[in-house]
Amino acid sequence: MHYLSLFWYYMKQYFKSRMEYRTDLLNGIFSDLIFQTTNLVFILVVFQHTAFLEGWNKNEILFIYGFFLVPYAVFGTFFNLWNFQEKYIIKGEMDRVLTRPAHNLFQVMLETMDPPSLLGAITGMVIMGYSAFDMGMEIAWYDPFIFLGLVVSAALVYGGVYTGIAAIGFFSDSKTGITPMIWNIQNYGRYPVNIYNKVIKFILTWILPFAFVGVYPASYFLKKEEFAFYLYLTPVIGIVFFFLGITIWNIGVKNYRGAGS
Amino acid sequence: MFSMYVEMIRIRFLMMLAYRVNYYSGIAVYSINIGAYYFLWNAIYGDKVTMGGLTALQMVTYVSISWMARAFYFNNIDQEMAQEVKEGKVAIELIRPYHYLATKIMQAMGEGIFRFLFFSLPGMIIITFIFPIQYPSGFSIWGWYGISLLFSFFINTQINLITGLLTFFFYNNEGIMRAKRVLVDLFSGLILPISLYPEWAQAILNYLPFQAISYLPGMIFTGGIQGEQIFLSLGQQFLWILLLWIPIGMLWWQAKKNLVIQGG
Amino acid sequence: MLRIEARGLTKEFKSYKSRSGLMGAFRDLFSRNYMNIKAVDAIDLAINEGEMVGYIGENGAGKSTTIKMLTGILKPSSGFLRVNGMDPHRERENFVKTIGVVFGQRSQLWWDIAVQESFTLLKKVYRVSDAHYKRHMEHVIDVLDIEDLLARPVRKLSLGQRMRCELAAALIHNPPLLFLDEPTIGLDVLVKLKIRDFLKEMNKEYGTTVLLTTHDLSDIEALCSRVIMLDEGKVIYDGELNKLKEQMGSKKAVFVDFPYPVSLEKLESVTFGLPVSWSQIHPMQYRGVFRSEDLSVSHLLEAIIPSFEVTDLSIETMSTEEVVRKIYEEGFAHV
Repeated sequence: MHYLSLFWYYMKQYFKSRMEYRTDLLNGIFSDLIFQTTNLVFILVVFQHTAFLEGWNKNEILFIYGFFLVPYAVFGTFFNLWNFQEKYIIKGEMDRVLTRPAHNLFQVMLETMDPPSLLGAITGMVIMGYSAFDMGMEIAWYDPFIFLGLVVSAALVYGGVYTGIAAIGFFSDSKTGITPMIWNIQNYGRYPVNIYNKVIKFILTWILPFAFVGVYPASYFLKKEEFAFYLYLTPVIGIVFFFLGITIWNIGVKNYRGAGS
Repeated sequence: MFSMYVEMIRIRFLMMLAYRVNYYSGIAVYSINIGAYYFLWNAIYGDKVTMGGLTALQMVTYVSISWMARAFYFNNIDQEMAQEVKEGKVAIELIRPYHYLATKIMQAMGEGIFRFLFFSLPGMIIITFIFPIQYPSGFSIWGWYGISLLFSFFINTQINLITGLLTFFFYNNEGIMRAKRVLVDLFSGLILPISLYPEWAQAILNYLPFQAISYLPGMIFTGGIQGEQIFLSLGQQFLWILLLWIPIGMLWWQAKKNLVIQGG
Repeated sequence: MLRIEARGLTKEFKSYKSRSGLMGAFRDLFSRNYMNIKAVDAIDLAINEGEMVGYIGENGAGKSTTIKMLTGILKPSSGFLRVNGMDPHRERENFVKTIGVVFGQRSQLWWDIAVQESFTLLKKVYRVSDAHYKRHMEHVIDVLDIEDLLARPVRKLSLGQRMRCELAAALIHNPPLLFLDEPTIGLDVLVKLKIRDFLKEMNKEYGTTVLLTTHDLSDIEALCSRVIMLDEGKVIYDGELNKLKEQMGSKKAVFVDFPYPVSLEKLESVTFGLPVSWSQIHPMQYRGVFRSEDLSVSHLLEAIIPSFEVTDLSIETMSTEEVVRKIYEEGFAHV
């Protein structure tokens, strides 16, 4: 309850300070939108030249991409940890966080929160809606709830992986360059995993489980029986990886050496 | 005068060398991206022989060479300019005895040479082992490609100068710069060869400078453009280099005036 | 009651030496030359409720590392530590409710929003009741004279204004123990005085215990009756500031000018047997240091005048600043 009211307070502060930098806000939204459109253009252009991509049609690929955007938006809103090492470890902001009475990761999340990212979810849902309509998808009354559950699970996968990666910052005093690598691997999750070879498929399923943020959960709505097993595994993977991420983070905090001064 | 600019290239080169760790991860990122598109294109081709005038093998070569070329021409001088404008360092730069924009180009050049030697070349060797790449057979093709690549560096840098100069007018144009980065990747043909776009889009893109950055050199390398067409492409690139100086000159002239009025 | 109690508190950092050259860099990739550095080396501390203690030492002596252990930011490598009766790192979230921390170089406040907003947020974070906040903070705001600043965003405040707000922010939950790390760095004299008065006031009113690190010894002289001096991770002095000064404060330095160059040996030979140590400023000026109990200036002059002509003479008593600098430079034994 306390944490919920804290969240609310930070949220209010965020908007108060953001209003001072409206152009920043618009800039961010604008460039996010362009980025999302670029990937959309790629899919649309490619399907002008072919009807199937390894057995998946245009609407299915679009649907997966649309789904992929939603958990990413949720994750991006709360886990804006991209500059964690630079801001909190190298510049020493972590010292301040550690002298406040609330869980440190929770504080960092609240301080770096980025609500405009959530707009990506709208883009995603529009794309999903369009393709679902176009292929005449049937939606049951309980599907929205399942959708919500899958989105949360997928966001937890992201959260776990990137929290773990951010925690590497505790052990190194210079940039490691791992985050951009992971971020680029994550984009493999936008497409059906069966287009990749076995090694990559294995990595995307069990090591950096980015197949669980796109194809696997989306296959529930696309009625792809071949991924049923992975579909049911999605919440499990989400929870397991999230706890793994938190554990690495907590070990990191124990190892925190403080900023240089 | 000239030796001063050579010195700037050298300094930037040394700076990049000092941060070389970043580039190990850089090579990995580019490889990851090339890998993603390798599988994607193979799946897209399925059992089709050609698409947009390229075979599957040519497409993989095109994607690889384009990404490695991007490693060379890509730079963030617009972000650096924006930073300097915001921190008020530009006023200091203006009282120094050199041309501000020329300095920026030289810095980009130093970065480009570094990235070419330590990134594009080794990256290309690594890629050759992983993916099937079709290298051009004729020696002259390599030569023309080299020239074309140098031109694409200038065009991309000029576009960066333009977005960088916009900071003088908008103060906060972070969004424009980020959008530019994504749009250049899309419209230059890095992500999709221009020949795959629908006719109407190709017609528009033909009149934009972006395709001269990635599509033209990429096509020369893969043999998608041959014979006299090569000279036409090089001419097109050169024309863009000349044309782009016009908006840069105008923006710079206006920017200096603004700067004087605001007092830096 | 002891606010801070530490026995054998130690913090070791693992660090590595880079090998030189390209080959060395390559070898570093596989095995590194690790070495342990003891930033804080088995120190004992006992600080009572209501004390104001100055914690001093050179850069890199281990002050910041100690403060970070005491505030729960760093986990000690070994040793016993109780602050406010708790283990700071293990019980961090509960523990930090009982302390206030001000880092001089780092802001606690949110940069873009009004000071008042930061206060409200912190009030929420520390779960301070409205009634308590009102009673306590009105007083704090009044003494620090920051009423007019509350509506302004932090980035528009001067350093002095910001620092006063930082202090108020650290005291929102009225902690019994306050850590101040370089709170007056870069501030002008008037603001310094205001901050000192405020700290005295808090100490008197609420019995707030204060641990203060600073490079400005006048802060310590104005506030602290006790100092702890740290050198290379070890406590080299713990006691009253007055005693420290007494031990060395009686030192005097005399500057003697000659109209012609004089050699050090010659000067030393004429004052042979007198407890004075000479150092050459330049060949025509020398500095002699002695204790005023052992030697008087007139005795010294009596020894010099017969042999040399003296054009000028000035006498200095060493300030606390100098005393401490001397300790840093030469260690405690020389004093």
